[in-house]
Amino acid sequence: MIRARPFRYLLGVSMLLGGCTSDVQSVMNPSSLQAVQIAEVAWFLFGFGTFVLVLVILTFLLAIRGSLRVRQAVARESTVIWLGIAFPAVTLTVLLVYGVWVTRSHLNLTDGGSTVSIEVVGEQWWWRVMYYAPAGPQIASANEIRIPVGSPVTLKLKAADVIHSFWVPSLGGKVDMIPGRTTQLQLTVNRPGVYRGQCAEYCGGPHALMAMDVIAMSSSDYAAWLERAATAPATPETDIGLHGRSIFLAAGCGACHTVRGTAAAGSVGPDLTHIGARRSVGIDTLPLTRENLMRFIVDGQHVKPGNLMPEFRILQPQQLEALAFYLLSLKAAD
Amino acid sequence: MPLVSRPRLIRTIRFILYGLIAIVLGGFLFAWSGLYSVAASRGHFALTNAILTFGMRNSVRTHALGIGAPQTYSDDLSALGAAHFHDGCAYCHGAPGVPTDPIAQSMLPSPPDLSTAVRDWRDRELFWIVKHGIKYTGMPAWVATQRDDEVWAIVAFLRRLPTLDAAAYRELALGGLSIRPQIGREIATTEDTSGAMSACARCHGADGRGPKSHLVPVLHGQPAEFLIAALEDFAAGRRASGIMQPVASGLSPAERERVARYYAGLARPGAPNRLENAAAVERGRELATRGDPNAKIPACRDCHSASALNVYPRLSEQHATYIVNRLRNWRKGVTSSSATDPIMAPIARSLNEQQIDDVAAYFASTSASASKENK
Repeated sequence: MIRARPFRYLLGVSMLLGGCTSDVQSVMNPSSLQAVQIAEVAWFLFGFGTFVLVLVILTFLLAIRGSLRVRQAVARESTVIWLGIAFPAVTLTVLLVYGVWVTRSHLNLTDGGSTVSIEVVGEQWWWRVMYYAPAGPQIASANEIRIPVGSPVTLKLKAADVIHSFWVPSLGGKVDMIPGRTTQLQLTVNRPGVYRGQCAEYCGGPHALMAMDVIAMSSSDYAAWLERAATAPATPETDIGLHGRSIFLAAGCGACHTVRGTAAAGSVGPDLTHIGARRSVGIDTLPLTRENLMRFIVDGQHVKPGNLMPEFRILQPQQLEALAFYLLSLKAAD
Repeated sequence: MPLVSRPRLIRTIRFILYGLIAIVLGGFLFAWSGLYSVAASRGHFALTNAILTFGMRNSVRTHALGIGAPQTYSDDLSALGAAHFHDGCAYCHGAPGVPTDPIAQSMLPSPPDLSTAVRDWRDRELFWIVKHGIKYTGMPAWVATQRDDEVWAIVAFLRRLPTLDAAAYRELALGGLSIRPQIGREIATTEDTSGAMSACARCHGADGRGPKSHLVPVLHGQPAEFLIAALEDFAAGRRASGIMQPVASGLSPAERERVARYYAGLARPGAPNRLENAAAVERGRELATRGDPNAKIPACRDCHSASALNVYPRLSEQHATYIVNRLRNWRKGVTSSSATDPIMAPIARSLNEQQIDDVAAYFASTSASASKENK
C-alpha cells in the first residue's frame, strides 16, 4: 500500500498540471478587467503568503537551532508582540485595503456605466440567455453568451429551479444563481475569444454537463450580430426544409421551444430561433453537426443522462433528417 | 425419581423417529407408484374439500387485510367491469342469461356461480382474488398487475351482479350493441358464434355511438397510426392493461390495421360532457394552449390537436373521466415501454390534481371540428 503512494502523488500532480494546458477555462488566463484584478490580488496574496511562510520557518529554525542569545531574543515578550500581533494586524489591514481597492469595480454595480445588460437564467441543466435590446424583439438564446469587448457588461443572474452558480474562470469570480433573487456580475472583457464556463454548484443529475461558452466580440461585430439575431429566420425554401418545419410543429417541439416567426412559442426549453448559428447541441455536450443533432433528438438520454428533453423515438428516419435540416437552417442570413 | 425412566424415553424417541421416516418413505412410494388419481372427474373427498376450502378462504382474508376499498363505485366503473367480465370471466363463471360452458364446468373445482358466491366475500377480498387469482383452482391472475384501477372495475361489477337479470346484464355488458342473429349457414360455417364476445364496440361504441363507460376512450376519428400503435403496444404487453391486452393479442396485425382504419374513419359521437364547470374549462384551456412554463409543463395542444403527428391521440371531445384516469395512472407510477411514453409520462407526472381535472374538463368540452379550424 505504501509503495503505491509515489504513484498517487504523481497522478495528483499531473492532474493539477492538466488544468494548466487549456486556456479557455482557466483562472491562470485572465481575460477581463475583473479577472485580471482577481488574478493580481491572488498572485500578490500568494507571494505575500510565501514570504510569511518563509519568515515562520526561519523563526522556527532559529528557535530550535539558534545560539542561546538568538533563542532568548525569539522568546522575548516584545518579539511576540511585534511579530505575532502587530505584524499580522498591520499587514492584514493593508492587504484588505489593497484587495478592496484593486477589486473596487466589483462592488459598485449599481452605476449606469454598463452599456450592455444580459440576463442569464440557470435552469436544470442549461443556461437561458436573454439580451435586452433597447428596441425590437427580446432576443433569447441558450448556452452561449455573446458580449462586446472593451465595455462593461452587466450579467443579471437568476435561477429557475434550484441554486446554480455562474463561473467563467477566465472572466471573473463565481456568482451563485439563487431562485427568487437576482444577483449581478460585471465583466469588461479585454480581448475577443471564446471562454468556457461551467455550473459551479451541484444542481442535480447532469450538473457536470451544464456548461456554456462566452463569446467575446468587438463592439462593431457584436452590434452587427445583435441586429442579425433580432431578425426571424427566413421561411425554408426547399422541400426538405418545409417538411422539417412541419415535423417540428406537428411533433410538438413548439410546446417547449420557440422559433420566432413560427407558431412555436414554448418557453420550457431553449429558444431555437437561431440554433443553426450556435456551436453546440445538447447544452454544450456535442458540437453542432447534423448527426449530433439527430442523435440528441432520439437518443438524448445517452448523450446527456437525466436531461429533461424526452427522446423522440417516434420519428421516422426521413422525418428526423428533415427536422435536423430545418434546425440547422435556422440562422440569420449573413 | 424422574417421571419417565431413561431407557423408556430413548425407546419413545426412536419410535417417533422411525415412524416419521416410514411416513416420508411411504408417501414417496405412494406418489411414485401412481396409485393416487389426479383425475378431475373423481372430485375430492368431502374432508379434503373442507380442508382446502378452509385454507383458501383464510388465505384470501389474511392477504386482503391491507387493501382499502372505495366507498362507492361509479356506473362508469361497473359498466367497464361488465364489458370485460363478458369477455374474460363469463366463459367459466357464467352470467345472467349466459350459461357456463360445460367444459369449464367440468374443471375441479368447478368455477362458482358468482351471482351467489360474491355474497361470501368483502370487496377487498374480491379485489385480491381478481388481481392475484387462486393457486390450484384454475382462477388466473390479472394480466396487468399494475392496473389496480381495472381490477376495481371488475369488483364494482361483481357487486351489481346479484341484482341483474338477463336483460339488464346484456344491456350493461354489451353496451347497447345489438347483435344481428346469425343465419343457420353462418352459425354452421364461421368460427365466431359467441355473440360478440370480444367486439371492440361493446366498450368503445361504433358508428354514431360512443363508449358506454366514460372510463373508456373515444376512438372515433383518432388517427389510424395512433390506434395501430396502441393495439400493437397492448398486444406486446408494452402498455399495461388486463382488459386490452387479451383483446389486442387476439387480433392479427392485418385485423388491427383494419379495425384501426374503421375507427379512424368515424365522426366523433359528440362532446359527452360539455361545460360542466366553466371555470375549470377556462383554466384547462389556459394550460392546454399555453402550458405552465414555471412548472415545466408544455402546452397539451401542441401534440394533441388535429394538426399534430398521427402518432399522437387527439383529445378534443374525449371523455373527461378517461383523461383523468389515464393521467392519474401515470402519476401512480403505471409504466409503459411504448414509443410515446417517454414523452408523455414526465409531463403527466408534473401535473397536479387540479390541473388534471381542469385539462380533462377542457378537452371534453372542445369540439373536434372547432379545433381543426383553430390550427
